[in-house]
Amino acid sequence: MSMVEVSQVRKIYQRDSQTITVLDGIDLKVPEGEFLALMGPSGSGKTTLLNLVAGIDRPTSGTVRVAGTDLSQLSENALARWRSRSVGFIFQFYNLIPVLTALENVELPLLLERLGRGQRRERALTALKIVGLADRAAHYPRQLSGGQEQRVAIARAFVSDPKVLVADEPTGDLDARSAEEILGLMETLNREFKKTIVMVTHDPRAASRAHVQRHLDKGVLTVGA
Amino acid sequence: MRFLPLVLKHLRRNWIRSLSTILAMALCIFLFCTLQTFLLAVNRSLRSANAARLITRHAVSLVFNLPLAYRDRVAAVPGVKRVAMTNWFGGARRAGDFSEFFPNLAVEAEPYLEMYPELILTPEDRRAFLEDPRGCIVGEDTAARFGWKVGDTFQLESFIPPYRVGRPFEFAIRAIYTTDEARFPGSDRTAMYFHHKYLYETTARRVGVGTYVTEISDPNQAGSVSKAIDALFANSDSETHTETEQAFRASFVSMAGNLALLLNTIGLAVTFTILLVTANTMSMAIRERRTEMGVLKTLGFTSGQVMGLVLTEAAALGLLGGGLGLLFSQVLIGALPKAPFIGPFVRGLAGFGLTPLLAVSGMGLALLIALAAGLVPALLAYRARITNLLRQV
Repeated sequence: MSMVEVSQVRKIYQRDSQTITVLDGIDLKVPEGEFLALMGPSGSGKTTLLNLVAGIDRPTSGTVRVAGTDLSQLSENALARWRSRSVGFIFQFYNLIPVLTALENVELPLLLERLGRGQRRERALTALKIVGLADRAAHYPRQLSGGQEQRVAIARAFVSDPKVLVADEPTGDLDARSAEEILGLMETLNREFKKTIVMVTHDPRAASRAHVQRHLDKGVLTVGA
Repeated sequence: MRFLPLVLKHLRRNWIRSLSTILAMALCIFLFCTLQTFLLAVNRSLRSANAARLITRHAVSLVFNLPLAYRDRVAAVPGVKRVAMTNWFGGARRAGDFSEFFPNLAVEAEPYLEMYPELILTPEDRRAFLEDPRGCIVGEDTAARFGWKVGDTFQLESFIPPYRVGRPFEFAIRAIYTTDEARFPGSDRTAMYFHHKYLYETTARRVGVGTYVTEISDPNQAGSVSKAIDALFANSDSETHTETEQAFRASFVSMAGNLALLLNTIGLAVTFTILLVTANTMSMAIRERRTEMGVLKTLGFTSGQVMGLVLTEAAALGLLGGGLGLLFSQVLIGALPKAPFIGPFVRGLAGFGLTPLLAVSGMGLALLIALAAGLVPALLAYRARITNLLRQV
């Protein structure tokens, strides 16, 4: 069964009088439990495709179906609720909220669920334990290293137990050692927690940790090595 | 409520900016509440004036007294029901010390009490006052303020030269009057009244009459009766100026109409300025958090929830500022009656104090300004697409 199913997706931007075709008839299927790496040069449409899969953007035409839901059928509010339940997003620059502690950052998505404060704290702490940062729960992002920040961001992405994790260059802002830790963590989430992962990366070493690599070039998907 | 800690943490993020906005809002609400309290008290004072009462004073100034002989001539004017002589005594318990000031007047007691049903006395108290030449009646607020009771004596010394006789005037409290706020809203509960005769005789019959209070049979005839009274004394040494009690009080409080306009204009200008300051603060706060808005939406917050967070943040700024402004206002309003120069005037305003309704209005205004200021940033946050918000990184 495909966890992600992208069919004939086109994404066209209109910039002044120019029409820019970012994605041109993309077809992609990602089976449940897959760890997929999307590669390609800058401007090839990787992030755009990732945004479509994550439900934070809509295609110009075509359909995106994730975990059995056709995202084009959802209203803005329904799409937001779907994102909170079904997908976890990992950003290149972590994007933690600076005024919140690590624990509060991880707890953030749980504010949207019907949970008591104690339950939220417990689940957030469990997520932090999984990423190995339980002892940094009370630390603010400025008190953490880049690798630690990204681990907190990963904990935030999976704390509400989504089926799919999407990661946009998750190691792009990290040194080699931290990048290794992050990739190891993502492998663990894929292997032990059965998360389907779609990762955009420039880095061949990062891509090599995925089960499948797909390449995007000028908005067209090609089979990777 | 779940999101409140998030909102409060954001307020602490740039605490100098938040604090300055809160202080600006506090200044706005402080001015609003203080000025409106003042205006309300002035208006209450004017409202308490009776349409059937006229005040006759010297045409040149209140400083000059009128002859006692005018009394009977005024009383004989058609439409006049009764006349009472009154003099503002301006007495203080310690000469020149107005920190414990309260309004005190020498009045021609019998007709005066007939004309002022708002001064409520039992028949026994009334009789006791009328029978004692040095007797006086004191408003319940002033009695409570000094712990006075019927039978107590005290002294007052006037700052007005003709009333200074080299020693204080002695008074015995014969009654403590009450008022009925439902029947006579705004009635003064702080004044003290004593016999005009006592003032007249103690000053060796040198003083005249500060004002004549006239009760007329038909309030609709106030204009013609006033003209008739003034016509009696036209071209005399002491020409008179007669007006309704309300007009007299209005002129006495420095033309209250213009005062209200001035104070309201100041209040409006300050409010508008604060609106701009708060709007600017909110815009800056939101602009620098565009990425975070994008993150929140990515995590599953709906546009409405993000908009709600922005508005809640604005409302929190407004409520904190409003609360602080109310506190400042309450402190100043409490201190004004004891202040030099303005204190005696403020104490003369019946019911001067921050009312619950005004406090609620102040908080409402703070909330309204804050929400108005936060509306545009909130709408921008609501409408912005996630991809555009995240692109600001």
